[in-house]
Amino acid sequence: MTMEQPTTPLLRIEGMTKVFAGTRALDDVSLELRSGEIVAVVGHNGSGKSTLVKILAGVYTADGGTVTLEDEDSELPTEIHIIHQDLGLAAELSAVENIGIPKYQGSAAWVPFRARKERATATRLISRFGSRFDVTVPVGRLAPAQRSIIAIARALDGWKHSRNVLILDEPTEALHASEVAVLFDAVKKLAAEGAGVIFISHRLDEVVELADRIVVLRDGRKVADESSAGIDQDTLVSYVTGVAAGEAESGRAARATGEVVLEVENLAGEDIEGIDLTVRAGEVVGVAGVLGSGREALPALVFGSRAGSADRFEVRGEAYERRSPSESIRRGIGFVPGDRARLGSVRPLTARENVTLPELDSLTDGLGAISARRERRHVAGLITKYEVRPPRQEQVFAQFSGGNQQKIVFAKWLRNEPTLLLLEEPTQGVDIGAKQALYTAIDEAAARGAGILVCSSEAKELVRLCDRVLVMRDGRVAAELSGEQLTETRLVKEGYGLGDEGAQ
Amino acid sequence: MKKTEAIPTAAVGHEADELPMGGGWRRRLSFQNISAIYLFVVVFVIFSILVPGTFLTPGTWLGIFDAESLTVLAAIAVMIPLVAGVFNLAIGAEIAWAVMFVSVLQASWDVPFWIAIPITLACGALIGLLSGLIITRLKIDSFIATLGMSSILLAAKWFISDNRQITGLDEGFREVARAGWVLAYNSQGNPTFKITLPVMVMLGVALIVWYVLERIPVGRRMYAIGYNAEGARLSGVKVERLQIGTLMAGGVIAALAGVLMASKLNSGDPTVGPSMLLPALTAVFLGSTQFKGGRFNVWGTVLALYVLAVGIKGLQLLGASGWVEDLFYGIALLGAVALSRWEVTAKRLGAVKRATTFRRRKAESAEPPAAS
Repeated sequence: MTMEQPTTPLLRIEGMTKVFAGTRALDDVSLELRSGEIVAVVGHNGSGKSTLVKILAGVYTADGGTVTLEDEDSELPTEIHIIHQDLGLAAELSAVENIGIPKYQGSAAWVPFRARKERATATRLISRFGSRFDVTVPVGRLAPAQRSIIAIARALDGWKHSRNVLILDEPTEALHASEVAVLFDAVKKLAAEGAGVIFISHRLDEVVELADRIVVLRDGRKVADESSAGIDQDTLVSYVTGVAAGEAESGRAARATGEVVLEVENLAGEDIEGIDLTVRAGEVVGVAGVLGSGREALPALVFGSRAGSADRFEVRGEAYERRSPSESIRRGIGFVPGDRARLGSVRPLTARENVTLPELDSLTDGLGAISARRERRHVAGLITKYEVRPPRQEQVFAQFSGGNQQKIVFAKWLRNEPTLLLLEEPTQGVDIGAKQALYTAIDEAAARGAGILVCSSEAKELVRLCDRVLVMRDGRVAAELSGEQLTETRLVKEGYGLGDEGAQ
Repeated sequence: MKKTEAIPTAAVGHEADELPMGGGWRRRLSFQNISAIYLFVVVFVIFSILVPGTFLTPGTWLGIFDAESLTVLAAIAVMIPLVAGVFNLAIGAEIAWAVMFVSVLQASWDVPFWIAIPITLACGALIGLLSGLIITRLKIDSFIATLGMSSILLAAKWFISDNRQITGLDEGFREVARAGWVLAYNSQGNPTFKITLPVMVMLGVALIVWYVLERIPVGRRMYAIGYNAEGARLSGVKVERLQIGTLMAGGVIAALAGVLMASKLNSGDPTVGPSMLLPALTAVFLGSTQFKGGRFNVWGTVLALYVLAVGIKGLQLLGASGWVEDLFYGIALLGAVALSRWEVTAKRLGAVKRATTFRRRKAESAEPPAAS
C-alpha cells in the first residue's frame, strides 16, 4: 500500500467540543493520527477520554468540530474500529463464533457456513499476533489477554487494507502484566503494518512504553501532545493533575480523632487480596487507586453487601462476623454506593421514602404503623439541613438533579448519626455547588464523631477531605499517605505504581 | 459563550403544575388518577340504556358483588408478591388445589370443616413458602418458578381427587359462604340486600393488606424491593425473606378464596381455579394505574376488578357469547399494562425535561465558568 506519504494523517480531529448540561466534557480538542503510529490518550476520570471515544463511535454527537478520515471518498476508505473496554464478546460462544458475529449480513445470514474454513480463518487471524489457543472453546474460559486478542482479531477480520484506525478503550484493565505484554506486541505488529492506533488508558507506566505519542486530556482540554521519547513520568503526572511536579498542595488541619470504630485484619474478597484497615471516630480515611485496584470493591466488602473473609473484623471493639447490609445498619454503618441510580436509591419512590428506608422503627407508633406526621416533619428537617432543591419530599427521587439526589442519599445515611460511614465516589456526577455542600456534610459528620471511609477516583477530593489516604494497587494497600505527603501528585503516582523509586 | 442551550422561560413557567405533588382535587379527580371510575360511569350509562330491565336490578349487582369477591381475593393474592417484584402465576392452581383439598379432607378423610379450613390455609402458606424458596434459593425467575409450581399443583390436585367432583361435604360447610348480614327484606321476608361472608372476608383482607402496604414499614420495604431489589438490600431490607413472606401471604389468601369457593359450590369442583389468574392479573395491572400513580395498590385492584366484572356482566346481559369474557380480559390486560407503561415513560420524559431545564437555568444564571 501507499506507505510513502506519511504526511496525510489517517484520522484528523479538529476543534472537537461537547457540552453536557453546561459543563464542557470536551473543549476544542484536536488530534492527528498517522499510519503506523500509536497514540496514547491519557487523563483522569472525567477528563474527556471516554466522551472522545463515544463521539468517534457515534454514540454522542459533537457540538462542534470535525473528524476527517483519509481517503474518505475512495473505494477503500479508512475505517474506524473501536474495541470497547468490555470487548463486546459473548462469553458462551467460541472464538470462531464471536469472530463470525458481525459477518453474514442480509441474505448471507441464511447460507450455511463452512465450519472448517471458519476455524481456519479464526486461527489465522489470531496467529498473526503470535499466540495460539483453542478457537473452539467458549471465550469465557480463555485468559483475559486472549479475549482481547479475539476482539482485535474480529475488528481486523473485515479489513480490506491495513491503513485503518483502531481505537482501544482501556484494554489492559483486566490484564496481568505478562498479558499486557502479549497485547502490546499485538498492537505494535498492527501499527507496523500501517494501521493507526489510539490507545486510551489511565495506566501511565504502560503508556510511555507502548505509545509513540502521548496526548493528555484534563477537564476536557488537550493539555499536552508530545512524543513519548522526550517525556518522563513526572512531567506526565503533572500534565494529568495540572499541578507542577514538586509543588506542594495545601493539606488540611488535622482532625481530633477518638476511639477505633473499625478494625479489620486481612480482609479479602473479590478484587481484594488482603487488607488491614483501622478507622477512628472523627477520622476521614481515603482510599485511592486506579480502576481494578480493588478501591471500588472495598466499601461493599466492609458493608457486607459483598461476600468476604477477614481474620479480624471489629466495629467499635465488637467482633462482627456474619456481615450483611441489614446487620451493618443495625451496628451504625452507613454506605453511600457509587452507583446512585442502581444501588444508592430506589428511584420511583419519593425523597421521603428513600430517606427513611433504612430505619423506620423510630418513626412508628404503638401499633407498628409509620406515623405520617412524624415522618414528614423528620424528613422536612433533613431537607432543609442538606439544602435539597426543590425542597419537596413528596417528589419522586428520579426527578431530582444529580447533586440533589446525592444530598438525599447523604441525608438518608447521616440522619441517624452513623458510627462508620462508607462513601464511594461521593461527588460523582454532582455539580460544584452540591459538591461543596456534600464536603461540608462529610466534615460535619466527622466532627460529630463518625469514622469515615472515602473511596474516590478524584485525587483532589481525597486531598481535600482526608486525614490519610490508603493507595490500593492489585487488591492490596500499596502505600499510605498522610500529612505533608498527602498531595495530588503523590496520590496519582502511587496509584499508577510510580512510587518514589520510579520517579527518581 | 454559547446560548443555544438556554430554554425560553415560557416553557419553564408551567412546570409546577406537572409535578406529582399531594393535594389538589383537580389532580385527584383527573382522568389519569381514577380512569376506572370514569370507565365505570360510561359502562353503567351504556348498559342502563341498552338493558335497563336486567342491568339495573339489585339482584344483578349483589350477584356481581358476591360472585366476584373471590376473584378479588385472587387478585390481592397476586398483587402482594408483585409489589415485591415477584410474579405468581400459580395463583389459579393454588385456588384449585385449595378447593379440592378442603373437599377431600371432609369427604374422604372425615375431617370436620372447622378443622379442614385452617389446615387448607396452612397448606396455602406452605405452598407459598415452597415457591419462595425455589425463587430465592435456586435463583429461578419467579415467572418460570411459579409456572412450574402451577403445573405441579394441578397434578397434585388430580392425584388427591382423581379429577372427579367431590360431594358429600360437611353439613355446616355450605353455610360458610352463605352466611351474611342481611340489610333489607322484601315483603315476603326474603332477603333482598345481603352482604355475604365472602364479601366481608374480601373487604377485611383488603383492609389489612392496605394497612400493611401503606402504613407499616414492611409495606414500604416491599415497594422498595419491587422497584429496586439491590438498592433496597443496600438499605438494609431483607429482600429474600420478605419476598418469601409475600408469597406465603398470597398463598394463604388464595387458599381462603379456594375454601370459600368450595363452600359456595358445596363441592370440590376440579374445573375451577385456573381461569381466575387472568382476571386477577388484569385487575392488578389496571389497578396500578389508579389512585397511586403507577404503584400496585389494593383499592385500585378492587375497583378495577369490579369495573371489569360489571362490563362483562353487561355484555352477557346483552346476549354476548361465552367467549366474550376471555376476550374482554385479554384486551383489558394488554390495555392496562400498556397504560401503566405509558404512564411511566410519560412521567420519565417529564422528569428529564424538568431536570434539564432546572440545571440549564442554573447554568445560565450562574457566572460563566472560569476560563482555565
